[in-house]
Amino acid sequence: MSKPNEKKSNTPIFIIGAVLIIAVLGGIWFYGSSKATPGGITKPTPATNTPKPSQIPANAPLGAQPPNQAGSPTASVTLEEFADFQCPQCAAKHSVMNEIKSMYGTRIHFIFRENPLAIPAHDKSYDAAVAAEAAGMQGKFWDMQNLLFSNQQAWTAAPTYKQIWKDYAQKIGLDVEKWETDMAGLGAKTRVNADLDRGKALGVNSTPTLYINKVNIDFNDMTVAGLKTLIDAELQKVAPQKEAPAGAPAANTANSNK
Amino acid sequence: MTNGETSDQVASRPSVKLPIAAVLLALVGLADSIYLTVHHYTATPVPCGVVFDCEMVLTSPYAEIAGIPLAAFGAVSYFVAFSLALLTAFGDRRMWKLLGIQVTLMAVFTGWLIYAQYFLIHAWCQFCLISAGTTLTLFALYIVSIFVKPRSAAGASS
Repeated sequence: MSKPNEKKSNTPIFIIGAVLIIAVLGGIWFYGSSKATPGGITKPTPATNTPKPSQIPANAPLGAQPPNQAGSPTASVTLEEFADFQCPQCAAKHSVMNEIKSMYGTRIHFIFRENPLAIPAHDKSYDAAVAAEAAGMQGKFWDMQNLLFSNQQAWTAAPTYKQIWKDYAQKIGLDVEKWETDMAGLGAKTRVNADLDRGKALGVNSTPTLYINKVNIDFNDMTVAGLKTLIDAELQKVAPQKEAPAGAPAANTANSNK
Repeated sequence: MTNGETSDQVASRPSVKLPIAAVLLALVGLADSIYLTVHHYTATPVPCGVVFDCEMVLTSPYAEIAGIPLAAFGAVSYFVAFSLALLTAFGDRRMWKLLGIQVTLMAVFTGWLIYAQYFLIHAWCQFCLISAGTTLTLFALYIVSIFVKPRSAAGASS
């Protein structure tokens, strides 16, 4: 039993301990330096590292006018969603948003903003946004939006995606020729760009991003139960004197929906 | 001869090159797993190439077990693999067998993850593929070690 032998037998333990310490400290350092949105178990699709503000600034660009909206513009609670048609989590949250819209009807004002992310994996998302806006020019925005999200897997990797969208246009009863003309024209693109400008000014760096009464909502709260809690809390703030009644005027634009 | 090895022990010890290669591979896997684990908890963007859709993979239901990201399990696994490979490199041949069992299990699970990316998620994530490559190479190293004996083994056993 010589000392050199004992020293040798301890060396790997020291190295293992050192690597463990480096791994843990490195992980903590990396966590601290790259933390963007705390506590995300599942994540929205990110585009940049810029942190988004928790509230919408008063001087932010308005986005497309009129917006793609549902519910009542006079409701006390406004939900504003920024989404991308190629973002998997946006498609996943689409049904949540639909349920919330059905559940609250005219008690909320729901606004959908186009936020196609300029990342390689989302190579069709800008065109998809334009396709939805072009459908909106015939009053069918929500129908197209619904089909694009519900069938995201079917078209997102398909080389023939434009033909697939054309089939959707026919399915929802669009004047397909006009829809194609509108897609090629400036009107639909201008709306998408206006929404993008608003998103950019707000620092929207991932999709879906949702604001309720101008307050940014954590992605983990984007569940039916989570949103219900938040919306009910907002409704409570104005209750009982001014909760929008069921007969409140519905959004009055061509792009309105339930 | 308290610290001596029998000729049988030396003969069954893998070439020291293989454990050292395993140490380095495990470190690569460890760094990759830590990166993905941190990404999971911070929602920071993962740089993704044109042919990959990391978010689709990393936010899929297959990316976690009981709320814990697979990457965290990976980090622990790679750390254990690193430790076992290092101990082997320092002469403890029993650790190599444990590493063999571990990397075999990891390789099987990696097969499932590749299947999930291709058939279920329909998307690829290069960081997941780096981990898959690391695990499968570790597994290959172990297989090679079964057939390749160190040069010193011949002399020691003669």
